[in-house]
Amino acid sequence: MDRTLDVSDLPAPEPMERILDALADLPPDDRLCVLHRREPYPLYDMLRRMGYRWEISSEDDRYRILISPVPKHQRPVSRLRQQGASRF
Amino acid sequence: MMGTGGLSLDQAPPIDIPARFFLTAPLFAIAAGLLLAWQGPTLLVSRWMPGALAATHLIAIGYLGLIMCGALLQMLPVVAGAAVPAVRLVGTATHLLLTVGAAGLAWGLAGSGPTLIRVGAGAAALGFLVFVIPVGIALVRARGAPGTLLALRTAALALAVTVALGLLLVAVLQGWIRVAEHTRWVDTHAAWGLMGWVGLLVVGVAVQVLPMFYVTPTYPAPMRRWFAPAVLVGVGAASAAWIMGADLVGQAVFGTIALGFIGFAFITLRLISLRERPRLDPTLLHWWAAMLSLCGAALAWTFAAPPTLIGVLLLVGVGVGLPAGMLFKILPFLTWFHLQHRQLGSGRFDLRIPHMGSLLSTRWARVQFGLHLLALALLAGSLWVPVLARPAGIALALSSLVLLLLLIGVARTYRRFAALLRPAPSRAGPQT
Repeated sequence: MDRTLDVSDLPAPEPMERILDALADLPPDDRLCVLHRREPYPLYDMLRRMGYRWEISSEDDRYRILISPVPKHQRPVSRLRQQGASRF
Repeated sequence: MMGTGGLSLDQAPPIDIPARFFLTAPLFAIAAGLLLAWQGPTLLVSRWMPGALAATHLIAIGYLGLIMCGALLQMLPVVAGAAVPAVRLVGTATHLLLTVGAAGLAWGLAGSGPTLIRVGAGAAALGFLVFVIPVGIALVRARGAPGTLLALRTAALALAVTVALGLLLVAVLQGWIRVAEHTRWVDTHAAWGLMGWVGLLVVGVAVQVLPMFYVTPTYPAPMRRWFAPAVLVGVGAASAAWIMGADLVGQAVFGTIALGFIGFAFITLRLISLRERPRLDPTLLHWWAAMLSLCGAALAWTFAAPPTLIGVLLLVGVGVGLPAGMLFKILPFLTWFHLQHRQLGSGRFDLRIPHMGSLLSTRWARVQFGLHLLALALLAGSLWVPVLARPAGIALALSSLVLLLLLIGVARTYRRFAALLRPAPSRAGPQT
C-alpha cells in the first residue's frame, strides 16, 4: 500500500524530518509517496545508504518521489558502511 | 555526494568552527550591557563618550563581527559552492584575533589608554584581514546563487574598506598622521561598516535564508541583482563627497541609500507576511523588530534626530537583535544537519535524531526577544529620560545571557548525540 506525504509547504529541514519519520513507521512492504516543491537532493544520499530506492516524476514545480525499500538480498550493506566510515 | 540544490557536508566546515564564533559573541553583548549598567547615562551623552565608543566596538566587532564571520565561513561553501581555503586555520585565527581585538580595543577606548587601543585595533584588523583574504579567494572562485553571491562579495569589499578606515583613525588618534576634520572620517568609517558590511550581509543572508526557512516567495529579481552594487557605489560616492566637504551631495546620496534600505525592510516584511505557513516563530519576531528599527533609524536620520538614537536603533535594534534571531535558526539547523550526516557515517539508523524545532526552547526564545525589546525601548527612552540607562544596560545584558544559555543548550545536545553516533569499529570497520 502507498502512503502519501505532502511536504511542499514546509520550511527546511522539516520535509526531511517528516520523510525520515514516515519511513521509520512504514510497514515493511509499503511505499511512501512524497510531494515536494523542489527536488530534495540531500535526501537521496540518505535514502541510498538506508537501503531505499526512489523514483521521481515532476510537473512544473511539483515533485513526486516514490520511495520503496530495496529487498534485503540486493543491498550491498558492507560496502556502503565502509564508505560511510571513511567519510568521518 | 549530491552536490547541488542543498547543503552538502563535503563542502561545509566542521561544526565547531562556526559554533565557537556563535558561542563567544553573546559575551560581548553582555559586556556592552554591563558597561552601560555601570556607567549609566553618561555613556549616552554623545557618541564621543569613551563608554559609548567602547560599547559600540564591543557590539560591532565582538558581537556582530564574530557572528557575521562565523556565519559567512559556514554559508559561503554551501550557498556559493566554493570552499574557503584552510578553513580550520582561518576560522581559529580569525576567532582568536577578533576576540582579543574587540576586548582590547573596547578596553582602550573606554579610557585605558593608547597602547590597548593600538594592540586591540591591530589584532582586530589582523583578524579581519586573515578572514577577508581567504574569503575573498573563495568569493572570486564561487558560482551559484547570484543574488546572494553579489551581496556577499560587496559586503566583503565593504568590510575591507571599513577596516582600512578604522586603521586610519587609529593612526590619527595616535598622532601618526593628521587629517582635516577627522569626525568626517569617523562618519565614513561608520557608514561603510553599517551600510556596507552589516547592511549588505543582512541583505545577502535574507535573500538566501527567508525562502529556505520560512517558505516565503523569493525577493524580486531586480532587487537581488542591483541593490547590493548600488549600495556599494552609493556609499563610495557619498563618503567621498562627505570627506571633501560636499555636504549636500553626501547627505543626498546617504539619504537615497537609507531610502533603499527602508525599501528592503518593507519588501522583507511583505515577504514574511506572504509566507505559506504563518507560524509565530521567535526568529520572525526578531526580523520584524529589526526591520522596524531599520526604518526608525532612517526616519531619525531624515528628521535630524540625535546621532545616538540612530546608533542605538542600528546597533542594538538591528545589530544585536537580528543576529540573535538568525542564530536561533542557524545553530539548531547546523546541529541537526551535522548529526544527520554523522548518522549516515555511523550507520546507526536505529537512533532518532532530534528534530531541529526541538533543539531550542521556543518559550525561552520568546523571553529572550521580550528582554531584547525591553532593552531597546529603555535605551531609546533613556536619551530623553536618562535614569532609564542603567535598567537598559541590565536588560541588554540579560537578553544576551539568555541567548548565550540557549545556544549552549543546543551545543550540549549536539555533543550528547554526536557521542552516541560515533561509528563503532565492529559495525563500520574495514574488516567486512
